[in-house]
Amino acid sequence: MKKSYILAVLLVIIAVVLLFQTGNATSEYANFSKAAETGDKVQLVGTYVKDKPTVYDPLTDPNYFSFFLEDLSGTEREVVLLMGKPQDFEMSESIVLTGRMQDERFIASDIQMKCPSKYKDEEEMIKNLTES
Amino acid sequence: MEEIQYINEHLGPRYVGHFAILLAFFAGILSMVSYFLATQYRGEVLRSRSWQRLGQLSFLAHGAAVFTVIGCIFYAMLNQYYEYQYVTAHVDGQLQQRYIFSAFWEGQEGSFLLWTFWHVILGYVLMVTARSWEKPVMAVVCSVQVVIVSMLLGVHFGFGDFLLKLGSNPMLLLRETVNAPIFQQADYVSLLRGNGLNPSLQNYWMTIHPPTLFLGFASTVVPFAYAVAGLWTGRHREWLRPGLKWSLFSAGILGIGILMGAAWAYEALNFGGYWAWDPVENTSLVPWLMLVAGIHTNLISRATGQGIRATYMFYLGTFVLIVYSTFLTRSGVLGDTSVHAFTEMGLEAQLLFFLVFYFLLSLGLVIWRWSHIPVPEQEEATSSREFWMFIGSLTLFMSAILITGSTSLPVYNEIREWINPVYDGLTLTDPEAHHNRFQIWIGIFIGLMSGGAQYLRWRERNFRQHAKYFALHTGLAILAAGVLTFLTLLWIQAPTFVFKAMIFAGWFGVWTNLDYLLFFIRKDPKVAGSVISHLGFGIMLVGIMASSGNKRTISQNQFLMEGLTEDEQLARTTVRLYEGVPLGMEDYVITYTGDTIEGMNRKYRVDYERMNDSGKVVETFQLEPNVLYDKGFEKIAITNPSTKHYWNRDVFTVIMGLPPEEQSVKVRQETEDSLQYRLLPLAPGEDVSFRDTVSIPQRNTSIIYTYTVGLEDFRRQIDHPEYSFEPGDIGLAATVRALRSGGIANHDTTATVAIVLREGLLYHYPAQINDMSLRIKIDESVFERLLVKDDDLDYDEFVVEPGSTFTVDGQQITFRQFISQPQVDHFSAKDGDIWVSALLEADGQTMQPVFLIRGNQPSGVRDEIRDLGLYAHLTSLNPETNEATLRVAKIRSQAPLQIPLAVAPRSYRTDYITLQAIEFPGINLFWFGSTSMMLGLLISMVIRMRDKRLNAPE
Repeated sequence: MKKSYILAVLLVIIAVVLLFQTGNATSEYANFSKAAETGDKVQLVGTYVKDKPTVYDPLTDPNYFSFFLEDLSGTEREVVLLMGKPQDFEMSESIVLTGRMQDERFIASDIQMKCPSKYKDEEEMIKNLTES
Repeated sequence: MEEIQYINEHLGPRYVGHFAILLAFFAGILSMVSYFLATQYRGEVLRSRSWQRLGQLSFLAHGAAVFTVIGCIFYAMLNQYYEYQYVTAHVDGQLQQRYIFSAFWEGQEGSFLLWTFWHVILGYVLMVTARSWEKPVMAVVCSVQVVIVSMLLGVHFGFGDFLLKLGSNPMLLLRETVNAPIFQQADYVSLLRGNGLNPSLQNYWMTIHPPTLFLGFASTVVPFAYAVAGLWTGRHREWLRPGLKWSLFSAGILGIGILMGAAWAYEALNFGGYWAWDPVENTSLVPWLMLVAGIHTNLISRATGQGIRATYMFYLGTFVLIVYSTFLTRSGVLGDTSVHAFTEMGLEAQLLFFLVFYFLLSLGLVIWRWSHIPVPEQEEATSSREFWMFIGSLTLFMSAILITGSTSLPVYNEIREWINPVYDGLTLTDPEAHHNRFQIWIGIFIGLMSGGAQYLRWRERNFRQHAKYFALHTGLAILAAGVLTFLTLLWIQAPTFVFKAMIFAGWFGVWTNLDYLLFFIRKDPKVAGSVISHLGFGIMLVGIMASSGNKRTISQNQFLMEGLTEDEQLARTTVRLYEGVPLGMEDYVITYTGDTIEGMNRKYRVDYERMNDSGKVVETFQLEPNVLYDKGFEKIAITNPSTKHYWNRDVFTVIMGLPPEEQSVKVRQETEDSLQYRLLPLAPGEDVSFRDTVSIPQRNTSIIYTYTVGLEDFRRQIDHPEYSFEPGDIGLAATVRALRSGGIANHDTTATVAIVLREGLLYHYPAQINDMSLRIKIDESVFERLLVKDDDLDYDEFVVEPGSTFTVDGQQITFRQFISQPQVDHFSAKDGDIWVSALLEADGQTMQPVFLIRGNQPSGVRDEIRDLGLYAHLTSLNPETNEATLRVAKIRSQAPLQIPLAVAPRSYRTDYITLQAIEFPGINLFWFGSTSMMLGLLISMVIRMRDKRLNAPE
């Protein structure tokens, strides 16, 4: 099966090359200053700033949700999420956004939230379990 | 600390369950060792047979123990023994019986048990059917069982400071897993409630998807075990026949399990699709791809003797990938890249051992036996079928590598972070686009090859002789596929060349396989399974292009926002619907017509009307997306879509959001409390005006509105549209008129408001006038104004005949007559009531106090003439003398009654939903194609099992 082996090796090489190309499709999590530098679509991690204005008014625009996010380097920027306000948004521990920087605002087209596990401590869990 | 004697604990299942887990573990070890030795001593028949006997017996015991553990958990779950942590974690009082299975496999331990359950069943089947292969195959199955059961042991070993935790025991009591003050109470059991099942799993797909998927997962151990057995015993050709049957079974079931997961995602989740390249989906797809690659090389080896090494590697790899998938989804390493990975449970080390052990075992065996595996002298010809099948297998293998590689990015990050803690993790910016980019090409390639290879012959020696046949059929297929592609493009769009090629490859596969079937079905029935699978693959390619490539968002955003790219505009897919207000979207007009709450489930009715170009309605249907509230109506747990299925397309709708007031009763109360009500007592015909300043934040200004609220009239019949009558209700309704001037337009509305007192509770039926954001209700103080207590009245008693007149405080009153069973607005009768009223007249006005016998108990209902300040009871009547005993009181006549209206401006509407609607054309092609792909595998298996010729000993 010599021919097959050559082909097998060839395919593995193609696969490896393609996998390395994956490198282009990946990126490190950016922060606001990096996103502003490149202007490209990036993924960005941060936390929701609770004491800054949060706007979601479906009566005005159901696809416009704006809030302030603090990225890992501590910069706060306004984020405009192009969809409705997700469930449990306020409870999120950290937020991963996909989007780009436009002027001073971050335009996000996708959001992933990391929520704390349901019960932070056992006491609360028991409290929850005993409530009828 | 003194030992607490707990009461009401049910410890039976715990003792039985703990014992059964230990038994399962040790019987598994015994069985594994026995089968191992039986295989090692296979040369000595008697010695081997007695070890085999012991292996069989201990595996029977092992299986019984596994069933017992499962039974114990179900017993505790069905009886809601909340002292068990597994029960508190997954069950609650509201759990419907039909979801008890979902609750069982919601947790890691339950799903491990499901896995072992299938291994036991498969082991029993193998013990009966595997014959000469039983010993080595069962040794491998038992070893896997031992590893999995060890995950349930829950045993802790301490070596100094080092604590080794082996497994997580599902039979532990809650008080053994957490430490809380509540366990100081002896009767803590009666205080516990369950946590309940995750609402997204409360779906019938979740009852059938996990067991099917796990049967698929579990059955991959059989081809693996045969491959190990082949290498171990050196019978490299003989295992290929049973191995093929089992891998066909495994691939068919695993595939159906994966498709059920896709169906669940599409039917029950809100992301609007059936496949999202989520890591958990990927890691179940990859072993399937590997297994299918193995099936193809297995067929080659059976037909030509080529490719045995590849078959070994594919089957071994399949199982290792299954274990890798288990490791990824259960160790918590996927973390935030997947929405549905399990949470960490401290089993990482054990899972890693599981993975490394079987990886090294496979690798070691292959290296050890490499040169021993037979390879034919002669190389296959490029024009032979086996050559192209082999290429196909390699393509599948490549697809598996690519998906695994991208999915393993979190593992790569973990390793980099372990070496360098400050390393920032890499992430795929757009996983869907990334995977699609590669996999479309692989799909095209497979589609073309699965068609073309059917026209080639095994062990081709003389292609020239066959070339005419090949050229004719292939040429015809290309022509037919071209025409079909052209026709398809009239229906759906395929903007790029790759997309067009995908449709072409799909139709090419369909045509060639049908062609092949018609020619060969009589010669060889075995082709049926292969044709059905490959045909299905072709249809699936077209279906994917139609449904995913052409999915159309009906709910296009209607608000402009500047500076967005086209993609970003497309992401804005939510529309807002007011109740009862139709909205045109694309070629549909949709109306949210109302909703009903049943338990925690709130179902919304959305009417769809599809228009043709001339604006005529061509079809109408109703969709009922729903939301499920969390306990206590404090938030929404999940939203479920609703889909209208047509043969050629689906219309999918899901609720994206509700007004905050509808999401939580707490918010609703807060909003109600924050309204600034003005109390306006109004007599009928009166009105009053006030002003309110509303700021407009976007424009940094404010606007002054003048409101005028008037009371038209009021009545004791409650005719509010939302009110439904119940006996015993007291209340009143009023017609109010509201006007607002100022702003862009003036508004003038008449509305009905009501208030009801039912069994001591007050119910408001306010009017929410959305045009002017005004809320009007009748203030509860109306009852104080309306009702004069009997205690405050000074009654005089009169015994009178009909027609007589008497005087109370100078007011002349005439008792006109008795009226039997009258219909009066201050009293409504129940079944079995006997009631009579006395018609009293004063100054031309009347009242009718009622004497009532209800259930042998006499009582009465007061009536009044408010203007005159007259109140009267009919306390008894004497049938013989025809006299009535009346108690009548008079107070100073009152001012005409004013109804206190509570009026709040800036009360914003809450009668809307936001939703998403997507049309999936041709999605049934995807379901049909992918399902027939899996069924084809199972049909192949059945044909191979029934074929006597094939089953003849070799």
